[in-house]
This record gives sequence, C-alpha cells and structure tokens, in this order.
Amino acid sequence: MELNVTRRKFLKISGAVAATLAVVELGFDDKTARAKAKELKISELKPTPTICPYCSVGCGILVYSNGKDVVYTEGDPDHPINEGSLCSKGTTVRQVYTTEKRITNPLYRAPGSGKWEEVDWDFALDKVAKNIKDTRDRTFVQKENGYTVNKTEAIAYMGGAALDNEETYLLSKLFRAGLGLTYIEHQARI
Amino acid sequence: MADYIKFVDVTKCDGCRACMVACKNWNDLPAEPEDFNGSIQSHRDLTANTWNVITFNEHETSDGNFEWLFRHMSCLHCNQAACEKACPESAISYTKFNSVVIDAEKCVGCGYCVQNCSFGVVQLATYKDKNGSEYRKAQKCTLCTDRLEQGLQPACVVACHTDCLIYEEKDLVLAEANKRLGEVKERFPNANIYNPQGIEGTNTIYLLADKPSVYGLPENPKVALSQVVWKDYAQPLGKMMLGATTMAVIGAAISNAVRKDRPEGDHDHE
Repeated sequence: MELNVTRRKFLKISGAVAATLAVVELGFDDKTARAKAKELKISELKPTPTICPYCSVGCGILVYSNGKDVVYTEGDPDHPINEGSLCSKGTTVRQVYTTEKRITNPLYRAPGSGKWEEVDWDFALDKVAKNIKDTRDRTFVQKENGYTVNKTEAIAYMGGAALDNEETYLLSKLFRAGLGLTYIEHQARI
Repeated sequence: MADYIKFVDVTKCDGCRACMVACKNWNDLPAEPEDFNGSIQSHRDLTANTWNVITFNEHETSDGNFEWLFRHMSCLHCNQAACEKACPESAISYTKFNSVVIDAEKCVGCGYCVQNCSFGVVQLATYKDKNGSEYRKAQKCTLCTDRLEQGLQPACVVACHTDCLIYEEKDLVLAEANKRLGEVKERFPNANIYNPQGIEGTNTIYLLADKPSVYGLPENPKVALSQVVWKDYAQPLGKMMLGATTMAVIGAAISNAVRKDRPEGDHDHE
C-alpha cells in the first residue's frame, strides 16, 4: 500500500481530526440538548387550573394544553384541598379529553328506536327544555293532604362533584324552589 | 447543591397506586392491562413500560390477623449500579442528581443490564422503526431526571397523598427515616431501613415494615467483582491498547511512505 502523505498534508489531517474531536467531545453537549427537548413537554405551556370531576373531595388540577391537545395534568400544588397530590383516578383525568371513547356530540335515541344518533346542540337543548316543561305541567301537584306542596316527583336532578358551593346553591334554588323538584341528589352519594 | 434522595416510607402507603399512574402520565407510557393473577396487585412485575408498581404482600401479623404490606417498587438508583457496570456501550450513566439513566441513543438493546440488575428493574422494550423491523432498548425509571433539572420533584412524589414518597435532602431523609423507624417499631417489630451498603447505598431509601426478603428484596446486594474488573480496568485498558495499536499502524504507514519518498540521490549526503 502506498500512502502519499507529505508533511503539510499530515498536519492538515491531524488538525481536522483534532477539530472534529473537539466539537464532538467538548464543544457540543448532545445530552443537554436532548434534555431540553424532553422538558419542552410542559415548559412552554401555561397551566389552566380546574377541579377534578370525579369524587366530592374536589381536588385542584393543573391542565397543560398546547391548544390542540392536553399534554399533561398534575395536582395543583397551590390548591388548599390536595396540595398537589392526587389519587390514581384523578391522575388519569387527562384521558377524559384524549381518549378515543370520548363523546363529542349530543346523542339522541328517539322513543322506540334501538340506536343512538348524533344531533346538534340546539336540538338537544330544545328537546330537554320541552320535556321538562311537558313533564312538569303534566305531573305538578299543588296541594296534598290539605297542605300546599307545589312539587313534581316525576323529575330528578343530580349534581356533580365538580360544582362549588355557589353553583350548588343556585342549582338547588332553580330546581327546588323554581321547578318544584323533590328528588335532588349528588353523584357522589349514589 | 445538597444531595437529594427519595424516601419510601411503606408504613404510610395505602396502596392507592397514584404513583403508578402519575409515572405513566408524565413519561407517556402505554397502559399494560393484565389478567387477574390471584392478588389485587395490579401488575405482576415491572416491565419496560411500567416503571413502578405497588406490590401487595399478604401478611399475617403476630396475633394472627391479616394485613397488606405495600411497597412502591421502582429503580433504586444504586450508588454503585450493576447495570452501569454491565453496559458494554457506556449507555448507562450517573447524573448530577445521583440518578442512574439510560441513554437511548447509545443503547443497543443487548440486555446485559437486564441480567445484572440486583433488583430486576431494567427491562427491554421492543419498538419498530419506520421500515417495520424491530429493535430493542433498555428502559427503566429515570427518577424524572428531566423534571429534577427544572427544579420539579419526581412525578410519583408529587402525586403521593400520604407522604409515603418524599424527595428531600439526604440528611433530613436519614433523620426522618430513623425517627419513623422508632415510631413503627412497636407495630412492626421487624421494621428496618433498607439502604444496602454492598452497593454503597441507594438513592431510594426504604423504611420497610418487615425483613427485605418478605418484599422480595435481596438482603445484601453486591456488584460482582468480575463486573468491576471488566468495567473499571479491562475496558479502559482495552481502549488504550486499541488506540496504541491504531497509532502504531498509522505511524508505521507514514514513516514507510516518508522513507519511500526519499530520493535515491540522498545516499550521497549520508
């Protein structure tokens, strides 16, 4: 094998090798570059505080979303109830949004029909309002055993754990005093 | 910066499994449903996509009653880690947070770390590249090193609601561990602090309610001497020899070439 290396060439090659090694070994730390890439998961995102929808404890949760998707959820360290911790169910709250089983439109099953079909919100809200009005008008009792009761027992209302004091007060007022419901329950009690 | 370590006080654990879910949530690991296997423990063992599991031990107390012994099982981040010693590619290293992490780009999926881990923590995950061919990488708990770098606590510690898991300064943790040991000694006579010295201690210290063997932990894990010799002496020496050989070959080639370049007439001056 013949190797035509002049002294000048040899020095050039050594210099190039040394420069490459310097860049690879010292100048560019790929580890920190990668660590930064991983941390981007939440570092650029602004958390939105919310309340856990599951049980009645009402833990605070921070939701990190990038506008398109929920990237991460974590217990809110500033929330007085859970101080950052969460149970295993509350920790999964991100899946309420990300799961493929999530229902994104109101579904309607017509009387006698065997299947659910997607409807728009206007139809669904009108239908609910109409049924409440019809049912209440049909079943309203003004007097019972000589007492004024002004009630209907044909409708029940169920509240959820994510409601706060003020919301539950207003909802009780609407359904008990306003519509005359007697069956008012809470999701966490059944 | 003071040394921080993770402390697992199993006597405070209520088996809620929030740490398991928090780990999956932060690290975006897929769920791995398993069939019922005779216990309410959710997963039989750690896998490459399940980096921590709460083990449920059915235990009979001295007065004949039943109780659960829980343990948050994940990588202990040994100070002398057998996986790091076993890795031929130097893909496993210690960080400034004393956590032991695997560099996925250097890992070739040989599985030596899986065989050598004292606690059965490291496992191989199988992935598919874009051509559909399979490749494997070793995976395990990272102690959320990416979170630590940003001043956040590990995801499992944040989720824990009984303070069974805490991440604190080492001195405070050791003091707390000793205090708790005194408090639980009456209820759990065999209670002990698990911080095996055969591997120079770990960065996850346990307060166990019973002997380590009850929890499936080795009483005194050690890194095999052959591994230490291999990693700390044989490998660097081998690299040095390789370098020396390369230099010798290049040097010989150059000197050979230089000698050939010399014109014939030079003999006169000698």
